[in-house]
Amino acid sequence: MLTALKPANRPDNFHALLSGRGVRWYNACLRITRDADLAADAVQEALLKAWDRREEFRGDSELDTWIHRIALNAAIDLMRRRRPQAQDELDPDRLVAAPAASPHGEYVQQALGKHLIAAMQRLTAMERQTFVLKHVEGWRLEEIAESLQTNANNIKQALFRAVRKLRVDLHVWRGES
Amino acid sequence: MISDDDLLLYYYRDGLDAAERARIGTALAEQPALAQRLHRLVAQLDTAAEMPEVPVPPHVQQRWQAALDRAAQTNGKSAGLAKRANVRSLTILRWPLAAAAVLILAVLVSERTSQLSTPEQTAEVAPPAGSAYERGLRWHLASTEQRLASLDSAQPEERVRLIETIIEQNRMYALAADRANEPQLARVLRAFTPILQSLTDERRDASASDIAQLSFELRVMQARLKAETDTKPPAQHIAL
Repeated sequence: MLTALKPANRPDNFHALLSGRGVRWYNACLRITRDADLAADAVQEALLKAWDRREEFRGDSELDTWIHRIALNAAIDLMRRRRPQAQDELDPDRLVAAPAASPHGEYVQQALGKHLIAAMQRLTAMERQTFVLKHVEGWRLEEIAESLQTNANNIKQALFRAVRKLRVDLHVWRGES
Repeated sequence: MISDDDLLLYYYRDGLDAAERARIGTALAEQPALAQRLHRLVAQLDTAAEMPEVPVPPHVQQRWQAALDRAAQTNGKSAGLAKRANVRSLTILRWPLAAAAVLILAVLVSERTSQLSTPEQTAEVAPPAGSAYERGLRWHLASTEQRLASLDSAQPEERVRLIETIIEQNRMYALAADRANEPQLARVLRAFTPILQSLTDERRDASASDIAQLSFELRVMQARLKAETDTKPPAQHIAL
């Protein structure tokens, strides 16, 4: 019976997509929440919503895009409802990526990762979410405003503040004047 | 003078009206230094956005898969039930569900063992892999019972770990049942997952009686499984 369904409708296709794209969704949510549990919950929520609406998808790429977006919205929503102490819980040491091939590459990558995480930590939740949604995810200012329940002008200002803070941190880290 | 803020909005093609976009576009075409400034700005922000990718922890991946399996079981009618936050709402249905699952499993196992007991049917119905799988299932049920017995005295973290182990093994045996072309048995095994998950969400005193009841149900299942043989092979003999 399952074989008669469209590809995106089958549980094994969801599992396959999860194996391939789960890490991307998880990391996108992690950038928003900075909380591993909330990120995991956001992805799970998106997966279940996608499963409920599986008849609407025409293929894996559409499903992937949809889950990614819903997961981000779920992450924002969870952040809004989160416990206060959850903010900025992430330990930069836990978040540094897998080592690069050479010892030097490993050092640079580790240092870069830690500094970038620290720089992101200095942003407010709204600044960080706005920057990630705009610069990384490519959302429209209006879309971000709707998701963060504010107006586009506030989002613009949050984006500008985030950019200034990040640039200052990057200058300091790189020893630039 | 064009600010970095305006340059950035131009780069994003968002937040500027048509006249502003045209003005900045013209300036960029005419002033290489301005274009270089924009290039530098974007490069800096790309660097800032380059968060190292974190692998998904295995237990998280398993939780997502289990949630999808549960949603698939309910055929999309109430996928929300599978959400962790809503697992508590299953409390009322837990034991009727468990009892039904146990009954179905017992019937399935009983049917299988009665088939195996007929010599002329054994060669057709039960290939060696099937019997290894069946022994493995018996071992799984026994070890689950033991783990449940130790939950009461376990510290909270250990308790969660034990339950996660049981859930993971249950998932593996459900997959094995799928591979053995036993979809009914796989479904029954998967039906236990939300029940087990609910144990991690509840207060210890509230779940003590549930654990005892689940242990009892497991013993019933084992008794059925042992109808043909009393041997219980060690874990390393399991072929999954």
